[in-house]
Amino acid sequence: MNPQIVFRTALIFVSMVAIAAAARDSSAQRQAAKPKPASAQSASNQSAEGERLFQTQCHRCHVPPEDLSPREAKAVLRQMRVRANLTAEDERLILKYLAP
Amino acid sequence: MFRRSLFILLLFLYTAASISAQSSTPIISGGVQFLSTTSGGATVFQPTIAPVVAIPFGEHWLIESRATFDEVIFRENGSTGPYHAITASSVDYLQLDYIVNSHLTIVAGEFLTPFNIYNERIAPIWIHNFSNAPLIEGIGTRTSGSSDGGMLRGVAVSHKNWELNYVAYFSALSTSRQFNSGRSAGGRAGVFLPQHNLEVGVSYQRFLQDLHLNSSGAYLVWQPNVVPLDLRAEYAHSRGGQGYWLEGAYRFSRFGGSDTWLGRLQALARVQQFFLGTPSPNDVLPGADTQQVDFGFNYYLPHNLRFNASYGRQFSSLGNSNVWNIQVTYRFLFPLLPGGSK
Repeated sequence: MNPQIVFRTALIFVSMVAIAAAARDSSAQRQAAKPKPASAQSASNQSAEGERLFQTQCHRCHVPPEDLSPREAKAVLRQMRVRANLTAEDERLILKYLAP
Repeated sequence: MFRRSLFILLLFLYTAASISAQSSTPIISGGVQFLSTTSGGATVFQPTIAPVVAIPFGEHWLIESRATFDEVIFRENGSTGPYHAITASSVDYLQLDYIVNSHLTIVAGEFLTPFNIYNERIAPIWIHNFSNAPLIEGIGTRTSGSSDGGMLRGVAVSHKNWELNYVAYFSALSTSRQFNSGRSAGGRAGVFLPQHNLEVGVSYQRFLQDLHLNSSGAYLVWQPNVVPLDLRAEYAHSRGGQGYWLEGAYRFSRFGGSDTWLGRLQALARVQQFFLGTPSPNDVLPGADTQQVDFGFNYYLPHNLRFNASYGRQFSSLGNSNVWNIQVTYRFLFPLLPGGSK
């Protein structure tokens, strides 16, 4: 096989591993910085409503993300407001579900 | 030229990210994929990286962009001979969004042409179930699947039991390699019934150059409440031909939940037909009446990894063929700036 192709393919795999490692580090940082779950009943209700909205609005194309910080989730939901026509209230409730 | 454009784009995005709002952080997400396709005995390998950048500003603004970088590795004579590789890159969209309210969002820049649903919602490598695009993908998306211009979209009417969403756009002609688009105008309207998880809609496009073609289409997305089944379908018609595809995906989450070894499995099937019309020179459509069936599965691994395999059989007067696909996709997301997740 052409050495240049082998090199390029190897480079792409190294990039994949680097991206995976960066994402994992970021995930670990988030786990460390994650606040304790809210105990208030209203927060729990809002999260449940957010989950219902996620199943209805987002699950048509996406599986639930494994973990997101509130600031990252907010950026994702801003994109989805445009793509999936979410309202500001939908955005707020799904945010409660994705990043409580 | 492309490197200079890419540098300017990255510089612009970095500057915008740096002054982004404090409440949310600019992110880079997307997918990395390795795909192996065997068709007619010839195997092609295709590694792909498709990063998506999203930079929110304040409460109403968003800059978003997606690019695709891939390499196609193949043998000179199909199944024999030395290997060759072709590298390709493209900017799929680069748009500025202003969210006025849930009824109206104004979009300017390069955006994915919103004809039916495949091009805009299903095509990304971390979403699609079958690597080979539907036979009718070329209808309503010429010339590149992207449009350069302006778009209005939102929910026109919203009730508890239903909502009516819409998109209207105009695109100018662009022959730039990275921002290629045709002069066209069109729109899409859909009705979504949230209690039934059902959306149906119609699309129309008028291509305003060369042959001035009309394209029309309809789509359906349904997730029944009683079974973990995803159903998607499209129909499209243009002068070059017409056709449909229907896809079903059943997740075995009933067997102990979606995180069990069986619950991570999703069985897939798709049928499609294309009927040739009067072909035009730039059509990206089959050259004859074609039928195709595909079967496959997704396996959702931990850490946002997905393994996918599929088999398809295509029937055409130009020759029948088998298509085998195996792909591994990693979905990533992290802040664009250091410390952005805190």
